[in-house]
Amino acid sequence: MPGPSSSNPQGKATPPAAGIGTFGRYAGPATLILSSLAEGEKHGYALTKDIESFAGVRLAPGTLYEALSRLEGQGLIEALESHDRRRPYRLTSVGATALKEHLATQRRVADEGLRRLSGRWGLA
Amino acid sequence: MTTTASAARRAKRLLRWYPRSWRTRYGDEFAELLTAEFSEHPRSWRRTANIAWSGIYARLTTGGLTGHALEPSDQVRASLASLGGALAVFLVFGTAMWAQLTIGWQWAEPNTLGTSAAMITMSAVLLLFAVLAVLAVAPLAWTLLAPIGRRPGNGLGRPTILFCCGVAVLIVGARHFGNGWPGTGGHHWIHQGLVPGGVAAFVWAMTLSISSYWAHPAALLSFPAAEVAWMVLSPLAIVGVAVGATKVVRRLDMSPRVLRYEGRLGAVAASAMGAYLVASCCWIVDGGSGPRNLFHAGAIDIVGLVLMTAAAVIAGRTAHGARRAGLGFRLP
Repeated sequence: MPGPSSSNPQGKATPPAAGIGTFGRYAGPATLILSSLAEGEKHGYALTKDIESFAGVRLAPGTLYEALSRLEGQGLIEALESHDRRRPYRLTSVGATALKEHLATQRRVADEGLRRLSGRWGLA
Repeated sequence: MTTTASAARRAKRLLRWYPRSWRTRYGDEFAELLTAEFSEHPRSWRRTANIAWSGIYARLTTGGLTGHALEPSDQVRASLASLGGALAVFLVFGTAMWAQLTIGWQWAEPNTLGTSAAMITMSAVLLLFAVLAVLAVAPLAWTLLAPIGRRPGNGLGRPTILFCCGVAVLIVGARHFGNGWPGTGGHHWIHQGLVPGGVAAFVWAMTLSISSYWAHPAALLSFPAAEVAWMVLSPLAIVGVAVGATKVVRRLDMSPRVLRYEGRLGAVAASAMGAYLVASCCWIVDGGSGPRNLFHAGAIDIVGLVLMTAAAVIAGRTAHGARRAGLGFRLP
């Protein structure tokens, strides 16, 4: 597992990593991208197809790259060297930790919502 | 083969929505993604709209106008450049408004307190802008002339030349056309105005292009050809000054101390814009009354006020961004 990224490909210092919750309307796409990269490195089109297969959502190209740019800027993912025009991305350990925390929060919310539905509405 | 070439051309066209720095970093891989997308879904207006919006958003981010955090020095530079652009728009319309009023005051004093107070405030704020400009340019010029600022390959030559040429054209042109205004030619009211008649005429000539005559082509045709040519040329010179200055700010290798200092000046400038706006509103609400309708507020003043308000909002936002990022520096 690669170590936490502290610089972007241009060699500039990056701002300190923030939680996915701070990504605003890109929090959803960011979660999907990190979840996809948790399986292994992927380039843009492979990310689109993988996310479509496991989440049923097709990220539009502009949204995908805006989220990738933010994730890279925060050091949650890193771009790898490539010999062709398709550049693969890889999850960093900071990104893995951020994803785990974010998914754990989402699971708590989901569990609580299901528990309340089950108790009051009889839906499980 | 033709399909691939066509897809590559389409991808290249769509990439134009994004700023150059973004294209340099992500352009190739994004074009690859688009080419693959085209083969799967040849036409999609949703995709085109998404790319257009993302490109505009990336441009705003590069200008320090979104909440997306950039590296602190990039953020301050981007915010200062955007602030400079907003300030240029504000000053063009603001000084055009002020020149119209102060020229009126050369002929007769306003007879309402609201208009008088507005004009005095606007004049004081313009003086403050002049002081701020000197304070802001001095360290930039010093950095530009120092060896670190002159580092080869940082592309400062062209914007500096553009800025200097624009300033030269504006000064020479405004002096020439300002001299054509009777207030500078020894008429006996020259000393009764709020400011010297020469200054009023100089600013009036510099902002001659901000005119409602554009909506009345027949009246415009009765103007001397040289004056109409100046009305067309002077906005180009103003754009040259603004573009040159913003590009220098973006590319100049400024120290954290200078960036922080410029960020503070930017915050003061944004506050001054607010004060100027309040004064302009006072004049317009006052009704622009005065002897011989000299201080009448027209439709172009309302349009100017709307544009100035938009510029002030952008300036306030960017000044806040510059100051917040500047505070992130650790000074030696």
